[in-house]
Amino acid sequence: MVKQVIPKNLSEVLELISKEKYRFVAGGTDMLIQNHNLKTLPIDFKDNIIYIADLQELRGITEDAEFVTIGACEPLEAIMENKLTPKILKDTIIQMASPAIRHIGTIGGNIGNASPAGDLLVPLYILNAIIEVQSLRGTRNILISDFITHVRRIDLKEDEIITKIIVSKINFDKTDFVKVGPRLSDAISKLSFLGAVTFHEGKILDLRFAFGAVNITVVRRPDIECQYIHKTKEELKNSVDEIAEKYSEYIRPIDDQRSNKEYRKTVALNLLRNFIEEL
Amino acid sequence: MKDISKSIFKTDGDEKISGQAKYVADIKLPDMQHALTKRSSIVCGEIKNIEYPTIPEGYFIVDHRDVPGKNVVKIIYEDMPVFTEKEITYLHEPILLVCGPDKSIVKDIVDNIKIEYIEKKPVFDWVNSAVHYHFDKGESKSIFAKADRVIEYDYETGYQEQAYIETQGFIGYLEGEKVTLSGSIQCPYYVKNAVIQALGTADDLVRIIQPSVGGAFGGKEEFPSLIACQLACAIKKVKKPIQLIYEREEDMLVTTKRHPARMHFSAAIGKNNELLGLKVNAGIDAGANIGLSAVVLARALIAGTGAYTIDNFDASGDVFITNTVPNGAFRGFGAPQMFYGVEMFMEHVARDLGIDQLEFKKKYLAKQNDLTSTCGIFRDPIIMNEMLEKALEISDYKKKRKEYSNPLSNKGIGISLFFHGCGFTGSGEAKIIKAKVKLKKDKFNKVYILVAAVDMGQGIRTTLRKVVSHILEIPIEDVIFDFPDTDFVPDSGPTVASRTMMIVGGLIARACETMKKRWKESEFIIEKTYIQPEYIKFDDETFTGDAYPAYSWGINVVEVRVDPNTYQTKVLNTWSVYDVGKSIDDRIILGQADGGLTQGIAYGYLEVMNHVNGVIKQKNMTDYIIPTAMDTGNMETVIYENPYAFGPYGAKGVGELTLIGGAPAVCFAIEQAVNKRIHKIPASPEYILEMMNDEKNRL
Amino acid sequence: MRKIDFRLNGVPVSIETQLNRRLLDVLHEDFELIGVKEGCGEGECGACAVLIDHEVVNSCSIPIANCLGKDIVTIEGFSNTSRYKILKNAFEEEGAVQCGFCTPGMMIAAESLLNKNSNPTIEEIKIGLSGNLCRCTGYNMIIKAIKRAAKEGDGKW
Repeated sequence: MVKQVIPKNLSEVLELISKEKYRFVAGGTDMLIQNHNLKTLPIDFKDNIIYIADLQELRGITEDAEFVTIGACEPLEAIMENKLTPKILKDTIIQMASPAIRHIGTIGGNIGNASPAGDLLVPLYILNAIIEVQSLRGTRNILISDFITHVRRIDLKEDEIITKIIVSKINFDKTDFVKVGPRLSDAISKLSFLGAVTFHEGKILDLRFAFGAVNITVVRRPDIECQYIHKTKEELKNSVDEIAEKYSEYIRPIDDQRSNKEYRKTVALNLLRNFIEEL
Repeated sequence: MKDISKSIFKTDGDEKISGQAKYVADIKLPDMQHALTKRSSIVCGEIKNIEYPTIPEGYFIVDHRDVPGKNVVKIIYEDMPVFTEKEITYLHEPILLVCGPDKSIVKDIVDNIKIEYIEKKPVFDWVNSAVHYHFDKGESKSIFAKADRVIEYDYETGYQEQAYIETQGFIGYLEGEKVTLSGSIQCPYYVKNAVIQALGTADDLVRIIQPSVGGAFGGKEEFPSLIACQLACAIKKVKKPIQLIYEREEDMLVTTKRHPARMHFSAAIGKNNELLGLKVNAGIDAGANIGLSAVVLARALIAGTGAYTIDNFDASGDVFITNTVPNGAFRGFGAPQMFYGVEMFMEHVARDLGIDQLEFKKKYLAKQNDLTSTCGIFRDPIIMNEMLEKALEISDYKKKRKEYSNPLSNKGIGISLFFHGCGFTGSGEAKIIKAKVKLKKDKFNKVYILVAAVDMGQGIRTTLRKVVSHILEIPIEDVIFDFPDTDFVPDSGPTVASRTMMIVGGLIARACETMKKRWKESEFIIEKTYIQPEYIKFDDETFTGDAYPAYSWGINVVEVRVDPNTYQTKVLNTWSVYDVGKSIDDRIILGQADGGLTQGIAYGYLEVMNHVNGVIKQKNMTDYIIPTAMDTGNMETVIYENPYAFGPYGAKGVGELTLIGGAPAVCFAIEQAVNKRIHKIPASPEYILEMMNDEKNRL
Repeated sequence: MRKIDFRLNGVPVSIETQLNRRLLDVLHEDFELIGVKEGCGEGECGACAVLIDHEVVNSCSIPIANCLGKDIVTIEGFSNTSRYKILKNAFEEEGAVQCGFCTPGMMIAAESLLNKNSNPTIEEIKIGLSGNLCRCTGYNMIIKAIKRAAKEGDGKW
């Protein structure tokens, strides 16, 4: 019989996880499906569980001069409705799942799940989100691209818990998040794409691209992006084939019950090209 | 006298909206046990050995040894065992039930039963034909020899899963020797007769009661008989009430789906580009059992000429057996597959001949007194030309068709023309079903409708009561139509084939006429049995004569946009025109129109289900994609009146008609948007990309 | 096992149960509220929808542990309100009910939407219903029903 705890505060959580292995249930939308049991039977959790959804220390959205800090257990819909939330996060959340799931699914849950098809991860990679984790040993801050190491694998030690997500208050001139699912809502992505660009005096100041569900983690290549800084819009458009070629190497999708490699790769590159051509 | 078509509030709105309607899972009985099914984990082979864990007191295994009667489920063709003895012919074939009071212990027992198999090589190719049909009309052979040109194409359709929101299931109990079952079903008497056969018991020792049913669409036509037989055997053994409700994944993996189909069409063209003759060869994948597949094939072949009169026609087809989940009834029953094929073929032929597709189709549209594909007669007026004018007008089809021929528009508009034969195919209604209805009047002047017809959302709890209320001129509150209970209602036949209002309602209407004359009597019951109009004759062997007593007709126009980067289709607008004889309630007919078209369109572009080596890959609501509210466009429908003499107030069948035309219409629209020809549905974004990469594919 | 206190349909309740039971099962089996239906068990279909703190959620995807101190309303509780009467009438006027299995969930989703946005556009209604699957109606009549309810709502939302 697994242990199940509803903790009173974050301290209690840190104590518990310092002694024994626990898995966290935030909103539950992923955990309940992954541990699905037959109708009327209790959820078939295989590990000890701590229910963290209502821990106030993990809720809330605050800001300072440079950053917006989001509590790990803040639900997606609440994040979307908050005026502090960066636009590209809002643009992504509205296309995710359904209102019912957005009301209880959390940002921390999405990150902890580290699904390669996780839509929210894409804008977080663009924003160079920092994941704050806590343990009795202290606090660690990790860049999201370092935090997510593989399909459903994160750099979280057994005595740590995700507490905050910190994103910079950056604005872009133009952003476009495209989720390609099998239908127009309530669906797991076949792939997704986010482009973001800022110009200054006709030249590119900031250029970022990220692709979801086409590799084991979100594809973001700052090494390719930086090659086009200071180029003009025209120069960028003229380089569209070259850019697609560069990204092609990193877009390595799979065949599964939802789609196939050929489709995912072709469409991912179509979206990249379209973003550039539409500037 | 108020027009019956004028809508009233549905009589079951209250209980459904408030959540008080009782579906099977909402029924609780004291000391209720739970049953779970142990299924084969191999695709093909036989059981070598079964090893059981220790079974605690109060828990039971129920298998083929516990079937007192015949271990075969009574369906049209009986080749499905209640519990397989040894042979495994498809993955997840049911082997036994485990029953007991605590569901988690039942689950443990199921998980710990170890079965050893001897595997055999499965067959997935369509090579084993179990049923072959062939018929022809006119000079079908010689016409191809005389033809100036012959055009031939192949078309393919995939699975479609009914995806009713309520999964299949039953609850049942024993009273003395009598077994009572309540389940999510379409056909109380199919279930009753199947259980009688499995138990080898007397007619009065089996009772089937229908609860509220959460959608069915054909998926609950024959499959529930299997569950009922298994559960009845369990109830007889355990002697306690038992509940058996399928999980969603289980339901998706093991219950019947629409038969995948492949069709090869040939057209004989004359020197003036006339369509001289048509030939179709079709195959359908029945899965591991024939069941009712022969009837699906029959209906499909009969639909082989589409909405058109073709003087020289040849149809042949096969039911193929493969080691996959057995397929069965789904709204349309073979017609959606064939209408997709013939509509696409007609337009592709027209394109090859350089003729406007709509003008080409119009030229051959069936008219009253024309011979049908089986040399029957379209005896009743056909108003398709009038309906077509309306469809073109409300959709602005011609202007848009021209505008969207510009490839930069990424848009398309398509139109499909179709019919649906109402009632059972061939002589089934007269020879097999012989529907019987009863109408009872009590001394308080309340009238009871006693039929076995099931309201699964199509609204007969309202519409049948409207018919009685109107004819007898009594308030609808005085017309009672309780949930069918086989102890109290006669066998009016299954709730299938779009027959309920036309045939059962027709009988009720006639009973009302008789009742009206005897109204002054205090209490009495009128009984009516279906008699086929004499002139409707069909030879099932040679496929000759009138396959159906009546036909409903339809036109769908669908407008789409296809995203040039993602190849995703968005349905923008649809316009439909239907002739269903007479609408017994406008709002209910319009609801059927919206729902059927949504399913038909989704069959054409959205719903992907395939198997790999006998394993269904899309097994839950996450992976099997049906439309959400976001996927629907605006839908407009116009209903035309064209009364049929034997339907109540002239009503013909509606239920299936509205699904038939969606797939070809959306495909025509997509074809225009992407400038390619579609030969396979669903025309998913992945398939559209394939077409885009095929340089030889040109519209 | 643990005691979970929460408000159910306006009334404080308490249940002693395993924390990892789904809210759907606690409502349907223990409280015998049959208005929550299981359609898929995976948070896709919305037939199990209830309001928690006045927002639509799928009760099949919520452990009872997360219900501590919450305000939960099922269709049974909602049906006692005047807003329900307007929505119900709109559903009936528009023909939005066929088999009825998705209907309580649709009503709950509608209430959740109108409570936040009393005059939604068609697009906003579609988004509001995007987590509720219906196989019978093709959605248009349900969408029109909600538009009608918003119009006839007379300031109720």
